[in-house]
Amino acid sequence: MVDFQIPEWLLQSQGPLLPPTGTKKARRSFAEKSIGAFSGFIMDDFYAERTAVKNGLMQGLHPGIKVATSLLLIVVAVSMHNWVSLLLINLYVLLLAYMSKVPLGSFLKRVWVFIPIFTLIIVLPTLFNVVRPGDPLLVLLQYGNHQLTITRQGVQGAVVFTLRVAACVSIVVLLTLTTRWAYLLRGFSIVRVPTLFINILEMTYRYIYVLLKSASDMFESRLSRTVGRTNTKEQQKFVGNSMGALWTIAFALSDEVHAAMLSRGYDGTPRTLTNPRIRALDWVWTVLIILISIILIGGDRLVW
Amino acid sequence: MHIPDGYLSPVTCVIGYAIMIPFWATAVKRVKAALNTKLIPLMVIGAAFSFVLMMFNVPIPGGTTAHAVGSGVLAVILGPWAACICTSIALAIQALLFGDGGITTFGFNCFNMAMVIPFVTIWIYNAFAGKSEVTSPKRWIWAAIGSYIGINVAAACNGTELGLQPVFWHTAAGVPLYAPYPITVSLPAMLIAHLLMAGPVEAIVAGLVTRYFQVTNPSIIAEQLASRVAPVKAAFNKMWYVVIALIVLVPLGLLAPGGAFGEGAASDLKSALGFVPAGFAALSGHWHALLDDYGVPNTPYAGTAPNLLGQSIGYYVAAVVGIAIIAGVTFLITRLIAAREAREEAKKSAT
Repeated sequence: MVDFQIPEWLLQSQGPLLPPTGTKKARRSFAEKSIGAFSGFIMDDFYAERTAVKNGLMQGLHPGIKVATSLLLIVVAVSMHNWVSLLLINLYVLLLAYMSKVPLGSFLKRVWVFIPIFTLIIVLPTLFNVVRPGDPLLVLLQYGNHQLTITRQGVQGAVVFTLRVAACVSIVVLLTLTTRWAYLLRGFSIVRVPTLFINILEMTYRYIYVLLKSASDMFESRLSRTVGRTNTKEQQKFVGNSMGALWTIAFALSDEVHAAMLSRGYDGTPRTLTNPRIRALDWVWTVLIILISIILIGGDRLVW
Repeated sequence: MHIPDGYLSPVTCVIGYAIMIPFWATAVKRVKAALNTKLIPLMVIGAAFSFVLMMFNVPIPGGTTAHAVGSGVLAVILGPWAACICTSIALAIQALLFGDGGITTFGFNCFNMAMVIPFVTIWIYNAFAGKSEVTSPKRWIWAAIGSYIGINVAAACNGTELGLQPVFWHTAAGVPLYAPYPITVSLPAMLIAHLLMAGPVEAIVAGLVTRYFQVTNPSIIAEQLASRVAPVKAAFNKMWYVVIALIVLVPLGLLAPGGAFGEGAASDLKSALGFVPAGFAALSGHWHALLDDYGVPNTPYAGTAPNLLGQSIGYYVAAVVGIAIIAGVTFLITRLIAAREAREEAKKSAT
């Protein structure tokens, strides 16, 4: 009889296989990043859909009116030059978000993370007198006749610019968080966006999901088959090939969609369901927003 | 490359739309003539593809990744007009859903990414590789070079758009109101980033995807699907006249009034219009004083002080009352909407 012995290492119990932990975060590969980006889109979109069906202020308004008044507010924000009025419009949008039952923490995160913070970083150098001379507000360094100061004009410019960008971003974020995508797009017909474009946008949104799923599958299958290291050239080739493959799939799909549309009697003219009715409250809202715009612009130009 | 809202002044944004609207119209006309009922499905899928393409992480040396715009390679597959429509739609979804790129700046974002990139790419590609064999390496090489040049021309446009802002729109004291850096900073900054980083990524994507089709499905690049038609020549030419006229008129129009838009003093208006509107003349006393104050807050209020102060206080009071009313009405509308929804809910459950 053969002396059969189980090797030592096989008898040791092993914990579950987890990604390496430690102080240093493992860098994600291009495939993981892409999959993350794809699922991030779907997550964001579901989140928006959830807040859009809540029973709040903005959700109850007519989508067209909401689009038009949001655009008006954006134009107002872009036209304003003073930090006081810009701060006020930021606060007003926050109030609207609160009234629309959008969780404020995540709203602020969505608005501020990235675009306004990025804006703040790029305007940072203009604070200093070496980049743009101005009246000193705070002297940082003094060496003989040379000073490094933060200038009043620099601070003024940076604050105005960042607040304006934040105001615009928050208006758009609020609009998308409180309106279901289909209604949002139809709302744009109130500002004379052609039905053709709205139709294309509506359908595109649907097919983005289909293509995202295909792309995500490609990266997942690639990731699950990758054991060793790959070099940049191989990775790039994979990305290039998957883009090409994705187009091949997409193109075949467009033929199928076309056939399906024809079979349902499509003749080249876009048709949509009727929009929800505009009610008295929507007009009250419109007047309110116009008043606010006048007050803000008036204050911006005349007083503050 | 995406310019957010607030970086460009309102006038600039209007110009962006003014350039793009005739362009979009021509693009739709041309592509529709080629595709008819197939227009919508192909543009839809093209736009969805363009959107997903922009989300791909392309590996670059050093272990990091970058995103490509992909409108250059889309032009190689679909022709430039269709690429323009698809990329514009993808940019619209990005702007609306992610706040990535602005609403007011949408015109110029499309100009840079949906017009400049595809057209520059396709001009170069057609000029140098248009007549070569479908499987010739010339094709993918020139698709890559075209995309590289295309994105850099777009970056130069982008840098110029941003760089002109502080020239035209600043306070009296010279504090820029929109994108703060002059063209001497913004243009090199954009170009360096795109010559070294984004440009090569774009070129790699265009080259590899074109190569992929040459190997697997050469018919796709043989046709430039959406452009297989006799060109709509008249419309095309007319549109270029409009664009050229705009380009010529815009700097003239902007330079003429001598001041920032919407901030003109009565004297500026008089020189521009030849007269001062009555309402403006009536307002012009404190309007002008306040504008001076607004530009150079350090200036002592001097003689105008009591009058100015009085008016300011009056306005502040009005503003506070106004804000209180606004807040009140906002709350009221919220309550009414909630009540209405509750009623409808009740009605629904009753039936």
